[in-house]
Parts: sequence; C-alpha cells; structure tokens
Amino acid sequence: MRRSRRPIVARLRARHLFHAYLFVAPVLLLFGVFRVVPAVQTLLYSVYKVELVRGRFTFLGLENFQALLADPGFRKAAVNTLVYVAAIVPISAALGLGLAVLFNTRFRLRELFKAIYFAPMVTSTAAAAMVWWWLYNPQFGLFNVLLRLVGIPDQPWLMSSRTALVSIIIFSIWKSLGYNMIIYLAGLQAIPAQFYEAATIDGAGAPARFWRISVPLLAPTTTFLLIYNSILAFQVFDQVFVLTGGGPAGATNVVVLEVYRQAFERYNFGYAAAEATVLFVLILGVTVLQYVYSRRFEVTY
Amino acid sequence: MKPAPARPGLRLAGRLLLYLTVTGVAVLMILPFYWMVITAVSPAPDILAFPPRWVPTRLTAEHFAAAFAKAPWLSYYQNSVVVAVVSVGCSLTFGLFAGYAFAVYRFPLQHLFFFLILSTLMVPVQVTSVALYVLLARIEWVDSYLGILAPNFASAFGVFMIRQGIKAIPHDLIEAARMDGAGEIRIVVTIVAPLLKTTLATVAMILFLGSWNDFLWPVIIINSQDLRTLPVGIALFKDPYGSINYGPLMAATVIATGPMLLAYAVSQKFMIRGIALTGLKG
Repeated sequence: MRRSRRPIVARLRARHLFHAYLFVAPVLLLFGVFRVVPAVQTLLYSVYKVELVRGRFTFLGLENFQALLADPGFRKAAVNTLVYVAAIVPISAALGLGLAVLFNTRFRLRELFKAIYFAPMVTSTAAAAMVWWWLYNPQFGLFNVLLRLVGIPDQPWLMSSRTALVSIIIFSIWKSLGYNMIIYLAGLQAIPAQFYEAATIDGAGAPARFWRISVPLLAPTTTFLLIYNSILAFQVFDQVFVLTGGGPAGATNVVVLEVYRQAFERYNFGYAAAEATVLFVLILGVTVLQYVYSRRFEVTY
Repeated sequence: MKPAPARPGLRLAGRLLLYLTVTGVAVLMILPFYWMVITAVSPAPDILAFPPRWVPTRLTAEHFAAAFAKAPWLSYYQNSVVVAVVSVGCSLTFGLFAGYAFAVYRFPLQHLFFFLILSTLMVPVQVTSVALYVLLARIEWVDSYLGILAPNFASAFGVFMIRQGIKAIPHDLIEAARMDGAGEIRIVVTIVAPLLKTTLATVAMILFLGSWNDFLWPVIIINSQDLRTLPVGIALFKDPYGSINYGPLMAATVIATGPMLLAYAVSQKFMIRGIALTGLKG
C-alpha cells in the first residue's frame, strides 16, 4: 500500500478513514453515553444537592465532602473497606503463592484439584454468599456444628460486630483463592527450570530456591495480583449485601454499599456521588501506583 | 519447583504432606457446594440434625417445589440469558470492528479514542452508578432490559483483547483479500473473525460469566420481581421478615448456580485458562 502511487494512496486513505471511524463509532458512542458522561457527571453531582423528583440541582461546593468526612457512617464504611482491602489482598496472594508452589510439582489428580480450587471463582458471588450465610448461622450452620463436634464454643460469625468483617473476609478468600493460585502457577511455570537446576547444583535447598529464585522472578505477577485484587476489593459489595447488609450496626458497611444506600434508598444522589468520587480517587490511586511500579507489562482488568 | 533429590523417607513424608495439604484445602473449597446440595435435597429434620447428616436419610424434592412456588425462577433464567446473550453479542460485534480499526488503520485521534475506551476500565459502574441511574431515569430505561444492558453493550476489555488478537494476524492476509476486491466489512466478517476464533471464544466466555454473575448494577436498576436476573433473584429470595427456611433457600441457590457449575465441570480447562490468561473482568 505504501509503495503504490500517490493518488491511489490518497483514495485508499480516505476509504480507510471512513471505515476506521465507522468501525469505532458504536463503541465510542455507547461508551461516551453510558460510561464517560456518567463518570464525569458523578464528579459534577458530588458538588450539588440533587433532587431528582423535582429536577432541582443546588450547588453546594465542597459541602458534601465536608459532610461525609464528618459522617461517622461513611467513616466507618471507609475504614471497613480499607481493612478489607488490607486483609484480603496480601492474604489471598500469600495463600495463592503457597498453593501454586505445591501445584507446580507433579502429583495425581492435580488437574481435578485445580478445578475444585477454582470453582468458587466462576460461581456468582451473591449465590455463593447465600450458601455461606447458611453455613455461618450461629445455631444450625455447619461451621458452628463442626466446632461443637470438636468441642470449641460457638462463634457468632456474622452476628457480632467483632467477628462479622472477619467472616466476610474469610468468604472472600475462599472465593478468590483459586484465581490467585492459578495466576501464580502460570508465573511459576514461566520460570526456566535451569535456574532451579543451577541453584540445586550450587547447593541451594528448597527454601533458598523459593526465596532467591521464585519470589524475585514472580515480582511482576505479584504486582499484577496486588493491584488487580486491590481494585476489586475496593469495590466489594455483593457478599456484604447478602451476608450482613452492612450490619450489625454498620460493622461491615463498605463504601459501595454506602453509595447504594445513600443513592437508591435515601435518594441523596449528590451525597452518594461524593462518596463514589472518594471511591474513584482510591481506585485511581492504585492505578497510578501500578504505572509507577511497573510499566513493563500490560495489565487488563 | 522440581522436587530435589532427597532421601526416600524424607521424600515420602514430603509427598504425604503435599497430599494432606492439597486434599485438606480441596475439602474446604468444596464443602460449601456440598452442603448447599445436601441441604437442598435433605428432609427438614436432617437439615437441623446434630451431629450433621452428611448423607440424607432420603432424597426429597420438596424444597425445590417450595422454591419454585415462592419465586419465578424460569423468568429469572430468561432474564439472565437475554441480558448475557445480548450484551455478549453486542460487545463481540462492536469489539470486533473497533478492534480491527485500532489494529489495522492509522487515523487521527486514534490514540485518544483508544485511551478513552481503556480508561472506562478505571471507572466501573460502582463509581458511575449514581449518574448513570439519573441518566437512565430520564430516558425511562430504569426497570427494563435496556437499563441492565446500558453499561454492557460494549466492553473495553473485549476491544483490547480483539485488537491484540488482530495485531498478531499477518497483515498480508488482509492485503491479499483487499487485492481480491473484498470490502473491509467482508474482510472483518469472513477473514478476521474465523482466524480469531479462540480469542473471540475466550472473550465471549469471560463476558458471559461477568454478565451472568453481575449483581450490583441489576440490583440497582431493577425494581420489578419479574425482571430480576438470577443473582438478584437469589439475593432477594431471603425474606428478611419471614421465618427462614434453609431447605428452599439452598434449593434456590442450586437452581441459580447449577447451570454455570455444570458448564464449568464440562469446560473447566478452557475456562480456567481463559480467565487466567486474560484477567477476569471485574
């Protein structure tokens, strides 16, 4: 195409330009209307009092943000979300890595085990949480029944503000463990076997090989998982909605649930938009971190 | 890691430990599924028995009958299927053409457009739901299929994956087709799409799974019981004021999760590989 004569090139270019814009138009239009505009509008709403029924918008400046910083409900939700992220991200990565090391050896029924570990990942979070809600039932739920069998006193699980958030975190680890393991396993299998053979000849034992070869060479995988998992964890909603609805007494309330409540139960759209903006800033922060730490590999999420 | 050559006794102990750990974790992973099914098919006294009845004294379908009497599960299925099929179909079609344009053409604003599309990944519906709801209320799409579908007609992830796939296709193939007089749309449909089968299948699977299990947006936009998708149906099945009956509740979760788990059992290699290679869409 480039070597042919000019007029043809120009004609082809014009034709290609037409096709190029025609082909990207639907995606751009749909994303513009349903993604980009609402994103910008959410930022805008955050400085307004929005009364949808009356169609009235009152400019408030930063009042929504001042209000939510002083709002114990939102602060609790923000702290819970941060605790959730800080717990789930390193724990599922560490457990995933440990399991991946085991799965990087050959053993019988390995593929079956892998499939079992991954099964929670393909199950709807809302439905899986419903099963756990039954398991966590203090009186008849399987967890307390099993504890009783081995003589451990009953736990309140979701019913106590002391244990509810931990119970949600345990559920989420169960849900995401398989994914973390599979990603680490793929990373491990990409490390050339010669590295380990050379280290073994040099007298390095299994722990040394793990810490000196596997862990450093898995750094890109680890970065990906930490970022991907944090972005998802900041958005936690489904399991909280089903398991506790944010209770007891706000002990498991999280930012997205708070946005949902403010917007769609109390119709404080402006206030909810301010809360969503905080969430956006958190996600943006993690994404910026990703750019700073690793520009070497493209990440999709 | 390759197992190091060690003394046979030590190796045996290591293998034993490996199997114990792997099996132990597998039991923990599978236990909720097992208990879901057992609760769903056990007669009421078994469900509350102590010590727990791991195998029901007899099988019963009464909980399924109760679940079906209480909620329109077939409608929920239909809603989930319609939403997933339309959103996957549109995302794949639009994504195929947009991905082709981004991979093959050079045009003004190309990089800006691509950046804009990818940047939507950073503002999930968790962030935009408030304004999106207001917008859809204005055009009267609240509480409709169109409302659920609105943010899911196209997928940035799909555009990205398809563009990467098309970039790997030798350009000569496209040039040759052009020489033969094929139009661009025909090239996309008859040359590019068949070559991209694996990518398209993987993207379709991931988008389908995402749509099938999506919860937040449908629960926001749907008010009518008849329009609930399966995850919304199951989450709102738990009546907060009535007495809780775990048999029908677990029967309902079996109804809601069964088909996807079956599909997974049949195609787990494909699904695991696809999700692991591409990163699951949140």
